Amino acid sequence: MNSMTEALALGFGSGPVCLASCGPVLLPWLGAEPRELRATGRLLALFLGGRLAGYLVFGVVAWAAGVALPVDPHTRTLVFGLANFGLAALLGISAFLPRRRCPPLRDEPVPRLYQIGSRDRFRPPTALTLGFLTGLNLCPPFVTAGVRAAATRSLLGALLFFAVFFVGTAVWFLPSLAVSPLRRFGVVSTVARMTMGALAIYYAYLGIVCAASWRLAPSRTADFFIFITGMVSHA
Amino acid sequence: MLDQPRPIALAPPRGIGRSLLLTVPMALFTLLLFTPVLRQPGQPAKLAALIAWGFMLALFFLMMRTRETYRWRRIFFVTLGFLFPVGFIWDLVALRSSMSIPIERMLFGDTPFCFMVIPMTLIPAALTKTIIFPGSILPTASNPHSIAMMVALWLLATVILGKAWCSYGCFFGGLDEGFSSIAKKARVRKINPKWRLVPWAILVAIVLLSAATFEPIYCMWLCPFKAVTEFPEVRSVQTAVQFGIFIALFLGLVVVLPYLTKRRTQCAFFCPFGAFQSIFSRTSIFDIRIDKEKCGAGCVLCQNNCPTLAIDKESIQTGKTLSTCMRCGACVDVCRKNAAVWHIKGTPVGVSPERARLLYLYAAWVFASMFGGSIIANSLQKLIGLLV
Repeated sequence: MNSMTEALALGFGSGPVCLASCGPVLLPWLGAEPRELRATGRLLALFLGGRLAGYLVFGVVAWAAGVALPVDPHTRTLVFGLANFGLAALLGISAFLPRRRCPPLRDEPVPRLYQIGSRDRFRPPTALTLGFLTGLNLCPPFVTAGVRAAATRSLLGALLFFAVFFVGTAVWFLPSLAVSPLRRFGVVSTVARMTMGALAIYYAYLGIVCAASWRLAPSRTADFFIFITGMVSHA
Repeated sequence: MLDQPRPIALAPPRGIGRSLLLTVPMALFTLLLFTPVLRQPGQPAKLAALIAWGFMLALFFLMMRTRETYRWRRIFFVTLGFLFPVGFIWDLVALRSSMSIPIERMLFGDTPFCFMVIPMTLIPAALTKTIIFPGSILPTASNPHSIAMMVALWLLATVILGKAWCSYGCFFGGLDEGFSSIAKKARVRKINPKWRLVPWAILVAIVLLSAATFEPIYCMWLCPFKAVTEFPEVRSVQTAVQFGIFIALFLGLVVVLPYLTKRRTQCAFFCPFGAFQSIFSRTSIFDIRIDKEKCGAGCVLCQNNCPTLAIDKESIQTGKTLSTCMRCGACVDVCRKNAAVWHIKGTPVGVSPERARLLYLYAAWVFASMFGGSIIANSLQKLIGLLV
């Protein structure tokens, strides 16, 4: 019980840092498409769900490896690099390929065959994926929670610790719903898309830096296998 | 200014005596401001202060005499833009014999604070009471450009002048205004108005990223003026990339594009501080309005001559400029029907626009003399010292 209180307090106390860390991804994404408050809330819930999934994955790894920073530096660089590339790709897609709307109904004879739903391009479940990728990124409160989860005896305990920690941080994300009323300004969506484009470049750069560091690091493959086998044996 | 012929002066020039009379209060007030500079030891300092004071007064007199604002303000602004790097680089070289700042000096808080950083510091300051800039709060011997001084100056100017900071206070904007004035005709005429939104996007991106990383992202990666002021010492691939970006942005946004478009492209289509300053355009009591009745069919001369695309057809219809209007006065000076006028909020439009202009100019020029005038004097002192 004490550890759950500790997780909640830790999450609540470090929530602003989490919000600052996820803000560059979340806020432009929420502002990009004009939506009602309820729809924005649904998107936020999806994002947070993805983030929780990222947390739980981290919790599993932290518990399995039993160390504060569970993955060795080389593999960690690779994971962060991939996460950054993923963020860059998703933000780029969201910025430059806006969701198509259904065409307005016209007073014309109904065609014999017609498609139900929008003729949208393939779009991954963006909010969920963005949440997951930001959940994988390492921020200071996350490391602190990782240290604590690593010391937990059972896997369930570690997962529960991360879940409660997540609930504590999630409270701070609620004010981001304030983006929704801004939709009445038509330019907000365009500015948010442009922002996502700029941020996509930034995350791509971070991805390149991580990839270059990983590429230049010695014996990365061996380290990766050692980590995986160590984790499995620990589990 | 752009391709159109010079404006037809509807009102005759003011008499010399009356213009001088209007200049006297400015002369007396700015004399108070220049007194500390005039008292500095050494002939070059005194001479530079006298030249700067005379320069500011001469321009103000010409504004009074000709009733034009844009032309004379531009001379001041471009002079400020080109002289600021001279004095700044001179001081840097004297202090460290290099324009680049090593990481050790940054850690000592020796980086001069620039107003561009202000929007990036707000969220981290609110969350953690930390200023995310390697400067010092109060002036020190090795860094006289302190955070407190710059923030106080910015606040003062913003409350009184609002977005006019970008036309009278910014020591960077004069460079792209200068390059935009070189060509006689614009090579690139059609500009998608959506580009006006880019500064807002950059503002949002840098504010969010600065809050996430606790680093002034714009200064580290995107500031074109690092190329002519101060930049991190190139010691790694990252600092080399940063330096390359500074140079490319400076050449592209401050030199080439202003020359091709005859617009202030850096200010209008990139500068996040300009977007931030637009938020405060409502704090100033001064603005520019378009009298729809006088405007009539709409020659759109004001729209075509606005250096920052702050007037479009919709804004002409509503009689108001956009929030990105820098109060430079180009539209007022070029209007042949006296439809674009200076205005004080809360008063009827077009009733006494010249009075509104005079009140605005007194406020703006006092600030310009105090801030820009002292920068000009400082740089002139270095140049005179070099010659004498």
